[in-house]
Amino acid sequence: MADIFELRDYEVWDGNMAASHALRQAQVDVVAAYPITPSTPIVENYGNFMANGYIDGEYILAESEHGAMSCCIGASAAGGRVATATSSQGFALMLETLYSASGMRLPIILNVVNRAIGAPLNVNGDHSDMYMGRDSGWIQIDCYNPQDVYDMNLLAFRVSEDHDIRLPTMVHQDGFMTSHTAQRVKTLSDDVAYNFIGEFKPMNDMLDLDHPVTHGVQTEEDWHFEHKARQHHALMSAVIPKIQEAFDELKVLSGRQYNIVESYNMNDAEVAIVCMGSSVETALEVSNELLAKGIKAGVVGIRVFRPFPLVEIADALKSCKAIATLDRSSPNGTVGALFNEIAGALFNTNTHAVLTNYIYGLGGRDLTKASLHTIYRELESNAESGNVTTPLQQFIGLRGPKLSFF
Amino acid sequence: MIENGWNQFEIGSVLRPFSGEVSDVSVIQPEDRLYSASNSFSVSVADWRIEKPLFKKELCIDCQFCWIYCPDMSIISRDKKMIGVDYDHCKGCGICVQVCPTTPKALLMFPEQADEEIELAQWPKKETQETKEN
Amino acid sequence: MSQVKTKNLKNFSTSADRFEGSNLLCPGCAHSIIVREVLNATNDHLILGASTGCLEVCTAVYPHTSWDVSWIHIGFENGSSAIAGAEAMHKALKNKGRLKQPDLTPKFVTFGGDGATYDIGFQWISGCFERGHNMMYVCLDNEVYANTGGQRSSSTPIGASASTTPAGRISYGEKRNKKDIMAIMAAHGAPYVAQVAPNKWRDMVAKVQKGFSIEGPVFINAMSACTTEWKFAPEDTIAISDLATESLVFPLYEIIDGTKLNITYRPKNVLPVRDYLGAQGRFKHLFTKQYEYIIDEWQSRVDAKWEYLQRREDACV
Repeated sequence: MADIFELRDYEVWDGNMAASHALRQAQVDVVAAYPITPSTPIVENYGNFMANGYIDGEYILAESEHGAMSCCIGASAAGGRVATATSSQGFALMLETLYSASGMRLPIILNVVNRAIGAPLNVNGDHSDMYMGRDSGWIQIDCYNPQDVYDMNLLAFRVSEDHDIRLPTMVHQDGFMTSHTAQRVKTLSDDVAYNFIGEFKPMNDMLDLDHPVTHGVQTEEDWHFEHKARQHHALMSAVIPKIQEAFDELKVLSGRQYNIVESYNMNDAEVAIVCMGSSVETALEVSNELLAKGIKAGVVGIRVFRPFPLVEIADALKSCKAIATLDRSSPNGTVGALFNEIAGALFNTNTHAVLTNYIYGLGGRDLTKASLHTIYRELESNAESGNVTTPLQQFIGLRGPKLSFF
Repeated sequence: MIENGWNQFEIGSVLRPFSGEVSDVSVIQPEDRLYSASNSFSVSVADWRIEKPLFKKELCIDCQFCWIYCPDMSIISRDKKMIGVDYDHCKGCGICVQVCPTTPKALLMFPEQADEEIELAQWPKKETQETKEN
Repeated sequence: MSQVKTKNLKNFSTSADRFEGSNLLCPGCAHSIIVREVLNATNDHLILGASTGCLEVCTAVYPHTSWDVSWIHIGFENGSSAIAGAEAMHKALKNKGRLKQPDLTPKFVTFGGDGATYDIGFQWISGCFERGHNMMYVCLDNEVYANTGGQRSSSTPIGASASTTPAGRISYGEKRNKKDIMAIMAAHGAPYVAQVAPNKWRDMVAKVQKGFSIEGPVFINAMSACTTEWKFAPEDTIAISDLATESLVFPLYEIIDGTKLNITYRPKNVLPVRDYLGAQGRFKHLFTKQYEYIIDEWQSRVDAKWEYLQRREDACV
């Protein structure tokens, strides 16, 4: 029996430590992992817990990220709680198996510490890996700080493992900005955290020897469409209500309020920035400064990236006159993904908002408050004129001649 | 199952070989198993065959070579005795005939449409044609 | 562990198969014979895995499964990791007292073709063996990517005509010799590594049972004569397999704890390699003046390997 880890009410943890403690408290049965910057400390911390008697489960030190996720899939199909962590190139190597995990309806939890994808090689945080995963059939939850990472990890097990859902979840945090920045984290005791998640309830488990089951079949044109539709249906209809329910219970337990779409200063906002990750908090600081000056500038943070809360986002932005979507991933040939998502959410509504797109922070480049002030200024002029007064897509924080498109 | 809509399949496209619970399938012979419709056992591949093996019981010495080398679980052996061929699952490869050690052979290949009674009656004659290849 | 009676074939024939017919494997496919011999070697519960390949695509095509025990497939390269993960979960749940049938210890076995084993899945297998999972990996070695139409793999032997290395006016086909997977797996320090062939059922079953009795990763390389890609008649699968073992093209041996090598089958009359090659369409082009020398080279290579195996056995290293 694993020892109880006595936590203080408040700990000073970086995002990686927050994730490690959440995995420990979840009493994960099998962790199979391969270290990669900046997610490495998650598995190092876990190894440390293991070495000191705080873990009962198995810990597989795989030979690659692909091998790690492959072991996770086998372990999950066998019937138990499974989690791992990765970043960037490792995430890319895993990608094939990510589709397998979701298609096989296996509730694996993957901590993705977001990092750029080379070439050129880069170890710092941007959202390239998160974006690469967005069609893989996983639930994707985004965190802005270590507290979020802790809470969302606990929540992820509870949501993923629900028998109405049975879909894997990625818990995203920004490489270094969140993963290596120590901040105050309000903890739950081991008991309370575990009970919030609940016991693992097996389903279609290979280790139920009286009920043999075949996992990972081939489905051709007569069947494939129906199975993919069923998977999409679960992602679309069951996940958001279950996350909301978990948010509500978490609020009772911890006093912390999470929302499917996080809106800050949005009540009568005329201009808004939509962004993800640690940028949400920076944008909020700027928003507060502007608000103090009487400028109605708000921030919308994406909390649940997949399934995409299309209706809730449209609702959050309905009163805005100008909106900027901030994408921290090279769009490589089109507008940023978030621009497309938000445009899609707003298109059939009554909005007359002007929508623009900023590409920022690639490879870990800081998103400065100065840049955010510039963006809000441009939004104000868009709101005033009712037209796009800037190019549709602009690179911000980039050296050299101004780069923009459309 | 082909009529089923998207909401009528098990999630994760899992398949179950049996209907309900099985305790220890390693000691239960097919006739006593509750196969599900999803088990390939429930399907026939008889139409794959161009030729079929016929079995002449009187010549069989129950060596079980045909049983061990049959790739399609189609040699029915019970209590150490060869009983016959499972024509739902036999693909007509002919391995059983090749490995049959008796002279004349207790298993021979015939066209799929051949009449079993007639061929069994003519057995020795067929035998002499077949064995010269071996 | 309940021991299956394998004293003779009559005893063995009382086994109840846990692999079902009306799968989609070619008539005469040796994969199926090997699977039966492996599965029937034990009465213990089994948890099976498979890498993408002939066996996998022919036995779990919706809406049918040919597997009477739990089975998993993920992709081409990771059948080993899939079963390693399942084995780890079994261990975890056992420690935590959460197994539904705590008294039963299933065997964990995974199957992969030579493409999945020698080539694309090699890293995953190497990882599993280095970590020491309690599992058996069975390579169904038909020396070619048979599932996708006969492309060469690193197991394809020299001189074979494969669809990516066809014999032609200026080529005798595959130019490289088969990778020595046995030596590589033994070098992992695996407790048990064995080469088997389905025609030698008693040798195969004995090795599989030995493998099941050992704690740790076990590697079985099973020769699987392929009627479709080796180009011989379906009824000749066992005859071709006999030619392979009798000519010593495919010697049967085992390596214990990565070092001690035992030869487990010695043909009474060793047949020339020429007989083995001549029985298969994939080597047909070698029987010409232009490429006859390849056959002589084959024979020398087989002789040298047999000599090496005997010396290893004698030296007990």
